Amino acid sequence: MIKDIYDAVIEMEQERVESLVKEEIAAGGDVSKILNEGLIAAMDEVGRLFAEGEFFVPEMLQAAHAMKAGLDVLKPHLAKGDSGNKGTIVIGTVKGDLHDIGKNLVAMMLEGAGFQVIDLGVDVDADKFLAAAAEKQADIICMSALLTTTMPGMEALIKTVREQGLSYKTMVGGAPVTPAYARKIGADGYGEDAPGAVETARGLLSA
Amino acid sequence: MDFTNYFSRQEIERVHEASLEILEKIGLLVRNQKARDYFARGGCSVDASTGLVKLPRRVVESCRQSYPPTYTFTARDPKFDRTIPGDRPIVVTGSSAPNIIDPVTGEERRATSGDIANIAYLFNELPGFDVFSISTLADDAPAGMFSLSRFYPALKNCLKPVRSNTPAISDLEQVLDLGSTIAGSKEAYYERPFINHHYCPVVSPLTMDVESTESVVYLTEKGLPVYGTVVPNAGMTSPMSLMGTLALGNAEFLALSTLIQLIRPGAPLIYAVLSTVADMRSGNYAPGAIETGILQMAHTEMARYYNVPSGGYIGLTNAHSNDAQSGYETGMNVTAALLAGADLFNMGGLLSSLMAFDFAKMVIDNEISMMLKRIKRGMEFSEENLCLDLIAKVGPGGSYMDEKHTLKNMRTAAVLPKVATREMRGRWEDEGRPDAHARALKEAKRILSKENPAKFPAELDKKLRAHFPGLVPGDARWYE
Repeated sequence: MIKDIYDAVIEMEQERVESLVKEEIAAGGDVSKILNEGLIAAMDEVGRLFAEGEFFVPEMLQAAHAMKAGLDVLKPHLAKGDSGNKGTIVIGTVKGDLHDIGKNLVAMMLEGAGFQVIDLGVDVDADKFLAAAAEKQADIICMSALLTTTMPGMEALIKTVREQGLSYKTMVGGAPVTPAYARKIGADGYGEDAPGAVETARGLLSA
Repeated sequence: MDFTNYFSRQEIERVHEASLEILEKIGLLVRNQKARDYFARGGCSVDASTGLVKLPRRVVESCRQSYPPTYTFTARDPKFDRTIPGDRPIVVTGSSAPNIIDPVTGEERRATSGDIANIAYLFNELPGFDVFSISTLADDAPAGMFSLSRFYPALKNCLKPVRSNTPAISDLEQVLDLGSTIAGSKEAYYERPFINHHYCPVVSPLTMDVESTESVVYLTEKGLPVYGTVVPNAGMTSPMSLMGTLALGNAEFLALSTLIQLIRPGAPLIYAVLSTVADMRSGNYAPGAIETGILQMAHTEMARYYNVPSGGYIGLTNAHSNDAQSGYETGMNVTAALLAGADLFNMGGLLSSLMAFDFAKMVIDNEISMMLKRIKRGMEFSEENLCLDLIAKVGPGGSYMDEKHTLKNMRTAAVLPKVATREMRGRWEDEGRPDAHARALKEAKRILSKENPAKFPAELDKKLRAHFPGLVPGDARWYE
């Protein structure tokens, strides 16, 4: 039953999601229905519960893990282009910045919201961001900085993206980064906090 | 948790001795005849012409033997019964303010029975509060129904213990009749007396009044729950020294407790105080002063020596709005009292030195109460809580955010405030920069915009309204 898969994702039961998806495929269930009405619809509901304050961040992450486990089982059966991926995001802290608590939370929340997240870790220079974005055919490059001294790294990368006419959207965040600064350096998006980053990413890709 | 102490054992005994000396040598002016008779029968010297009662140390000490160590507040619904010290800290509203800050206009006005209904409903819903001491008076009370117009809306909208005072025996008897009618019979009411009486029969310095004392005598004789608060005010009604105020207030507590034990040995009591300083620059009353907290700590230390529950009006403020002063006066005083071991905190909802109730203050105080209770809960030392396996599992550089352990503990390990903001500045600015007052008022409105699920059943209400013709409506309803 697709409803059971939906419920198991919301109840964050990773193993149950896996076995239910296997059963449903074995029984000849419609894989696109399993994906859209089971896994994705459940994560939409999780997102709604989170926005209402009912679900906390760890619950959203556990639900996302459960969803991903189901998706891994489903993937070999899916038609091309029907991946359940809402977009691919390359994320990291900029060159010289080793502070990653906020960036990690943003990465986890983006993953929870159904994005494919490539986390490059800390102290990432512009070349590494661009190489990873090219390799993974990224939609968004997300940069984080905690130090005012490392913030200019964001501006430099955005400038390169613009100059080379690359299609990636850019997003910035981190304690000293303000919406005004984001505008000034020409970033496409700004994340006030982790949930805000998810909203911004959704907005950038739906536009 | 060890409690904070100011005194050595020797110093405590010296304060006790000083209080005994005050009672034996100076004595108390007792204006109530029945109380004088009890003191006389108990072995005290009573001067019939002046009303001065001197309490010999042997009487005070012998009465002290029957002080019980616990006090229970009974609720309409037994699941809300609270006993101290076991359930400490129990948080009570501040009571009997004549005024209210109107939640719509923001202006101070006289409070009504309708306000009491709303406050009682809000109180019932806020998890930090334990005992509803009726916050305001009711300016709309019909003639002859002063107290009924307070207790009826309070009891109608609140399942937790209700506490307050009455100005005269006739009012007290009406209120007890209300309790018996709600319970179904007098016997049923006496089985579980869910109205908890409180008075300030001692007027500092060293005087017992007529009416409040009469009520304490009446209730103690009947075995109904009552306790008193002593309220010396340094510089005005007690010495301008914290030690002098402690010795005097302690003597007043002993005098009241002696009376109660002479009437009914073993009657429960609370060592409750509102010992304060007056601000000598103006003579103004200063319950928000830090000295109120210091004195509460010292009185609580004396209570521990006597093995009785302690507390009082602690966490009050002189501020007229929910500003920083209101927060730090309440916050610092209750924290000090908690760490010293106080059990009972009359702290909720009042601004302006007990003169005005404010809905937002009540919601903020609920949050302070949750914080106090969290301090009391403390670190919860255990091998399991050290989480060594989990620390090994996550290792260096990992994250605990998506661990099952976090999921299991995240709703209980920390207080989750509704008033305090944890948003980033940008979000807060987007919301119009709401301060704690605005956020708290919004929460009060959210709660009170729903129908109260805890009010009297229709049949009972019909019976009560027939029994007390002309009773105020007593229904909770938000103001807009």
